[in-house]
Amino acid sequence: MTLTADGHVPTISLDGVRKARGNLTQARIRWMILALVLGFGAVGGRLVQLGMVETDTTIEGQTRDAITATRPPILDRNGLEMAVDIRVPSLYAEPRRIIDIEEAVTKLRTVLPDLSEEWLRNRLTGDKGFVWLRRELTPAIEEQVMRLGIPGIDFITESKRFYPAMNEASHVLGSTNVDNQGIAGIERHMDTESIALLQELGLARGNALTPVELSIDMRVQHVMHDQLVDAMTRYQAIAAAGAMIDIYTGEIIALASLPDFNPNDPASALVKDTFNRVTSGIFEPGSIFKTVTLAGALDSGLVRITDDFDARYGVRFGRYTIDDFHGKHRILSLPEVYKYSSNIGTIRIMQAMGKDNYRAFLSRLKFDQRVQFELPEMRVPSVPKEFSEVGAATASFGHGLSVSPLHMLTAYAALVNGGNYIAPTLYKRSVAAAEPLYERVIQPQTSAYMRYLMRLNAISTGGSGSQMNKAAQGYRVGGKTGTAEKVVDGRYSSNKVTNFFASAFPLDNPRYAMVIMVDEPKAENPQSGTTAGWNAGTLTGRVVQRVAPMLGIAPDFEGLLDQQIVPPEVRRIFPEGY
Amino acid sequence: MIRQLNIFLICTSIVMLVGVYMLKFSIEGTAAERTQLQIHISEQEDDLTTLKADWAVLNQPAYVEPIVRRHEAELGVSQVQQKQFGSFADLPMRPAKPDSAAMDALFLAIDAGIDPIDAILELEGIE
Repeated sequence: MTLTADGHVPTISLDGVRKARGNLTQARIRWMILALVLGFGAVGGRLVQLGMVETDTTIEGQTRDAITATRPPILDRNGLEMAVDIRVPSLYAEPRRIIDIEEAVTKLRTVLPDLSEEWLRNRLTGDKGFVWLRRELTPAIEEQVMRLGIPGIDFITESKRFYPAMNEASHVLGSTNVDNQGIAGIERHMDTESIALLQELGLARGNALTPVELSIDMRVQHVMHDQLVDAMTRYQAIAAAGAMIDIYTGEIIALASLPDFNPNDPASALVKDTFNRVTSGIFEPGSIFKTVTLAGALDSGLVRITDDFDARYGVRFGRYTIDDFHGKHRILSLPEVYKYSSNIGTIRIMQAMGKDNYRAFLSRLKFDQRVQFELPEMRVPSVPKEFSEVGAATASFGHGLSVSPLHMLTAYAALVNGGNYIAPTLYKRSVAAAEPLYERVIQPQTSAYMRYLMRLNAISTGGSGSQMNKAAQGYRVGGKTGTAEKVVDGRYSSNKVTNFFASAFPLDNPRYAMVIMVDEPKAENPQSGTTAGWNAGTLTGRVVQRVAPMLGIAPDFEGLLDQQIVPPEVRRIFPEGY
Repeated sequence: MIRQLNIFLICTSIVMLVGVYMLKFSIEGTAAERTQLQIHISEQEDDLTTLKADWAVLNQPAYVEPIVRRHEAELGVSQVQQKQFGSFADLPMRPAKPDSAAMDALFLAIDAGIDPIDAILELEGIE
């Protein structure tokens, strides 16, 4: 058997056996090389092909890990869960693996009748590798769908945020979207802070994260929320809000605003009027602002607590006269101005201080900027850059400027804690951690005066806080009422009011400050009124009565503690102190 | 010689091959078992998250309060009032020394068959 080139068969073989064998070997080697080249070529081609494939980066195409991304649990200051992750099954389909679309549609609709037939058919048609059908279902539905046995339909476990307190702390917590990203409240803040980064790096996937501890005390939060809900029906108010702060650490102990929403159902947050009134609502604070004016005046040294002010006649500005509501129309001492909430007296006090000094004092208390706070829902207050004579006069009793209740809360905290402004926080913070952040705004002596004045307003006869004190007997609460008339059609209306009560307790050694707001309340019964003392005031009293024991404040009926805070110079005009 | 060596090597490779295959299958078995366990753990963790959520709900003041309110009448509980709180300072101090004369009188009375507590019980209507 011989083989020569070109298929030309010679009649005589001249090659030797050895040469013929050599030719044969060479031919075999060539075939072998060809086979190898083809083999490697195929491998190389496949590699190039794989390199060309584009990966799907949308959420639907992501790996299991990314969508089970966890969020850390949120705990209140006592370790009670306020938000936890639960794992729930989500239904998806692989349209390219579905054999009979019509059958799949009919079968699926037996378990999930609310899915639109048309939508489902479109969803399942095509050559896609992954489409969501319905996310965050229950294990029972998972069981039923699995029993249908449709090929190309399966479940994946996803993390879903759950808020066991339902509506109670909705504005603090905010909510998350279906992809478990924070869209409001502290959840949103946490995302911008650290978790987004952790999730990006793949660290927050499927493993437990260190819980986040908030400053909220759920027991106090519950009482606050409960009482606000009660106030909404009791006074037929359109809204109510309240917040409590630890005056030394700036920790927010409770913060609630009604109407609210259920964070487990984020769509309910889109309903009108559910915004957070404490942080993102700005209001004319009304008379609760007099506390600020008096503190500024006393701190400037230009006004003393024993000074008298002429409140016999209204203050005239051109055509306008500013008068008192239920005025005494006599000469009032400074504590009396506060107690009777005299507009005239407050204007005189502000004028004694000087309007520019007064404006500077408001800046020192940070009334013209956003409060530094974790919640993303904040509004810039509206305070005029410079005061005219009239502007300063109206501002002294809380009109003509709009601030959030949170501004008032932090200001009150600073006024009673010895004069240190501390930015509020929703995270747990110790006094030691807060102290370096203190900014002195008034002298400790002025702060002591303010405590006395606030307590005076609660226990002295005729004081606007006496309604409040009835419920909270023994807990040494004091505060100031504020009834701000709303602007309706460009005029101040006397029957549409926003009522405030700003308070602090226990005033002999204060620890907590609170601001309560009731919007457009009506009289509870024919004997009561619509001014702040009747609603925001009594509401404050009821809240304190319930939370004081939780916060470790013992009641005291001796009156000795109240006497201790009376400044000696006041004794000259009121020997009995109150 | 070479032939024997070859036979030996072939035998060895067959034994090794069988060994490797057996190892591979046993590892596959173990891996399957591991996957099973992982799925099981994951399922249990899922259940655990639900249970924890349940526990958190049951602990909420918002959940507890309505229960208390519902049973207020039966249990005779109500909102705590300020006057119900006391302090250690309110407790009377221990007398400096026991009132021995009164004690003697009491013991003598009991010995004589008159127990002052009986009078109190009778007054209260307790047998």
